[in-house]
Amino acid sequence: MQLTGLPIDTVTWIAALAAVLITVLYILKLRKKSVEIPFSPLWSQVMTTKSRRTDWWRRLKRLFSWFLHLLIAALLAAAMLGPHFDDEVIDERHVLILVDNSASMNATDVTGGHDRFDVARSKAREVLETIGGDDRVMVVMFNNRVQPLGPFVDDSSLIDAALREQRATANPTDLEQALSFAADSLRDRQPAELIIITDGASITDDTAFDIDLGEHTRVRHLKVGESSENLAITAFNARRYPSNRLDHEVFVEVRSFYDRPVEASLELRGNDRLIDTQPLSLEPGEIHRQFYPGQAVSGERLEARVRLVTEDARNVFPLDNRAYATVPPPQRLSVQLVSRGNLYVEGSLILNNHLDIEHVHPDDYDPNAEFDVTIFDGVGFEAPASGHLLYIDPPEEFSPFPISSRDDEPIITDVRSDHPLLRWVTLRDLNISSSKTFTLEAGDDPVASSFGQPIIAARDREGRRTVAIGFDVRNSDFPLRVAFPVFLLNVIDYFADDDTELMRTFPTGETWSIPVDYGIDSAQVVTPDGARLPAAVHHGAALFYGETPGFYELITDQGTTVVAANLADPQESDIQPRSIELADADVADDISDLLFDRRQLWILLLAIALVLLFVEWLTYNRRWTV
Amino acid sequence: MPYCRYRTVGFESLLSREAPLRASKDSTSKTFDEEFLKKLEYLYIVSQKIAAGKFRAKRKTRLVGSGIDFADHRQYTPGDDVRNLDWRVYRRTEKLFLKLYEEEEDLHIYFLVDNSRSMHLGNPNKWQVARQLAAALAYIGLCNLDRVSIVPFSSHVTDRMAPTRGKAQIFKVFNFLERCEPGEQTTMKDAFRTFVNENKRAGLVVVISDYYDPSGFEEGLDILRYHRFEPMVIQLYDRRELEFSLQGDVELVDCETGEVRKMTVTPAMVREYRRVFEEFSNDLETYCTRRQILYFRAALQQSFEDLVLKIFRAGGFLK
Repeated sequence: MQLTGLPIDTVTWIAALAAVLITVLYILKLRKKSVEIPFSPLWSQVMTTKSRRTDWWRRLKRLFSWFLHLLIAALLAAAMLGPHFDDEVIDERHVLILVDNSASMNATDVTGGHDRFDVARSKAREVLETIGGDDRVMVVMFNNRVQPLGPFVDDSSLIDAALREQRATANPTDLEQALSFAADSLRDRQPAELIIITDGASITDDTAFDIDLGEHTRVRHLKVGESSENLAITAFNARRYPSNRLDHEVFVEVRSFYDRPVEASLELRGNDRLIDTQPLSLEPGEIHRQFYPGQAVSGERLEARVRLVTEDARNVFPLDNRAYATVPPPQRLSVQLVSRGNLYVEGSLILNNHLDIEHVHPDDYDPNAEFDVTIFDGVGFEAPASGHLLYIDPPEEFSPFPISSRDDEPIITDVRSDHPLLRWVTLRDLNISSSKTFTLEAGDDPVASSFGQPIIAARDREGRRTVAIGFDVRNSDFPLRVAFPVFLLNVIDYFADDDTELMRTFPTGETWSIPVDYGIDSAQVVTPDGARLPAAVHHGAALFYGETPGFYELITDQGTTVVAANLADPQESDIQPRSIELADADVADDISDLLFDRRQLWILLLAIALVLLFVEWLTYNRRWTV
Repeated sequence: MPYCRYRTVGFESLLSREAPLRASKDSTSKTFDEEFLKKLEYLYIVSQKIAAGKFRAKRKTRLVGSGIDFADHRQYTPGDDVRNLDWRVYRRTEKLFLKLYEEEEDLHIYFLVDNSRSMHLGNPNKWQVARQLAAALAYIGLCNLDRVSIVPFSSHVTDRMAPTRGKAQIFKVFNFLERCEPGEQTTMKDAFRTFVNENKRAGLVVVISDYYDPSGFEEGLDILRYHRFEPMVIQLYDRRELEFSLQGDVELVDCETGEVRKMTVTPAMVREYRRVFEEFSNDLETYCTRRQILYFRAALQQSFEDLVLKIFRAGGFLK
């Protein structure tokens, strides 16, 4: 028995004094009320009869009454001691409950709830209901982010309301981050109880988290989930070929997490129309990758669906059965070629059928004409008001970069191979009869240089991109190389700001950055469930956080951009429940020894004393014990 | 200071027998007020209906003597007064029979009213009822031209109203009862012994008391009977004594002896007290019944008229 109330010496003194006082009061005769009666012999007869019958009983009753008062005093004294059972933890504890609401918690392989998160939440509430009066508790939701529902509080009902509103997300899991948060939260709050309610789906088999949770922190892992059977689309992307903006390919990766062969079907839909369906036979753990030629899907919202066909199998994690992708519509550029005639340049441009090329004789040049790209080939004029610029062997007075010198037979020694202009292009051993060199300003890129003297330079300033080539291509063997048309295509793509990487598909649970036109300062996002949310615009990109798979529409003054979001996390799709291991601490797997039910025995003792007092009062007033 | 004040009642209103009784204007007595007098008139009328005859000295003794009411015949024996021979019977039977007549004489009615402290306990108390009862019965006696005497007693005879006669004497009765002061404890045998010594003329003795005599009531009543008095027992009790509401630790003080008993009164003890009282009353009744003594038990809270009428109907007082 543990005592948390008054010191036992004090209580002993108080109890002894009370006992003595009660005894004295029982010994002392109280002054009795005087009543005049007409004839006492009748009462004498009554007393004789009664005393003959109940003398011994009366003594016993008086003794019982005295004993009852002593018992009441003893109960009160015991209540003052603040007793607790030995198996109770009476120190104030800080209880941190980590509840996983990542994507894998949407799995429905549970009993007692709709999904794993439902069960996890129930377990958390069970723990909350038994929190002791002196304990402080905090509940934290975690996925790849950590979200506390409040600070440490002693009233669990405050947390309970917030907990009931929580839902599972489509985000990946970062358990290490959550454990780090727990370590920070419990650092100066010992002793502590850390209860992690998760399926452990993101944990690899050999992971042992090396996190210092404190010497007096007991860790418990309440595992939820029962199955690992899942069929998932772990990747779904579309990209276009560099050489043809209309030609795309779609990549789908389907992964089986079954321990037996299963049959499935894979559907590809565009704008909610079925485009293709394919049967799949997947071996245990097989990863099926497939490319679809994307000729017919340009500009559409693509959706891939995988469906389990095997009848006796069960797919318990529906979240990754669908994946989404977008392919933006093709972009055409209007190009103004101001030249007296350059077959190499014209021929390379003609190869790209997404350009609307207009040949302009230098005498007909109009600086007010609007084109997406203007190419000055050996001529110099005032730059147009808008559009990107390519200068080939610019005259000194119209060169965008000041000309520093002229080199004969320069050798290209330095190239910025990571620059978009030089993608898939090599300038090694390029023979140039003569070239101008540029003087660059801060922010300009020397794409190719000869001993530090830039020959090809690029500038990206105030929404306008400028590229200058310091030599006439006809006075070099550059046009004779395969690299030349590719270089020109890179220049056009550079101007069009249209790379050939995977297009506008984002993972859930991250903050996305979507480029917007220059000058746009506000944007709104329509989420897959139809909600319209504001998006922050910063440095030419709209930023917003998405945690639901599906299509998002970014709405700006300039139009609407559609992006797709997918779970696309093989680790999260592997929903096999796993146990947590810590490098420096044991992890219990239940809370049976976690006695939160702080039994306040003093209340019980006080209640018993009151009941006895009532009994004494009742029996006294009924004259049963007098 | 007297325990009860008495008021002088106008005597002139009692000159005529038929004249209704009326208290004097300055009478403020609560016990014998005008309302009480009306009740007495009413009771008297009722008693007239119950009793037979309207003669002077209407009480008839058991003696056969020189009255005018024929009572019986008996055979003639030498020495009898020949004037009383019934010749009509002689003519039919040729035997001499003597006509007997009821002897009429004044009846003495003594009211022995318990004036001990126990009779004065509470408000209203038994003494108030006892003297009302005594006055009522005395009034009936006076109206019947009986000789009425009031003798209050406790441990001894505290006072005595000499035998008086005639309706007009009722206010004398009132005055006497009003000025009676409480006595001490009840000792019937002593008081009654004194009474029989002082009153040689036998008669009806109405004993109005609660009979709370520590030495017992039997000896006192036996003394009356021994001296050829005809006792009539009226036991008064107060229901409040039986409904003992105060419970718990109390000191019971005997109002007559001053004896103190400390005890804790419980509902069971109250019930036991009622049983003991009932037993006490039954003993008194049994005693009276066995000795052919008229016995009446009356609660303080009982209607005064009902009690008087009950006595009338029982006979014994009205003959």
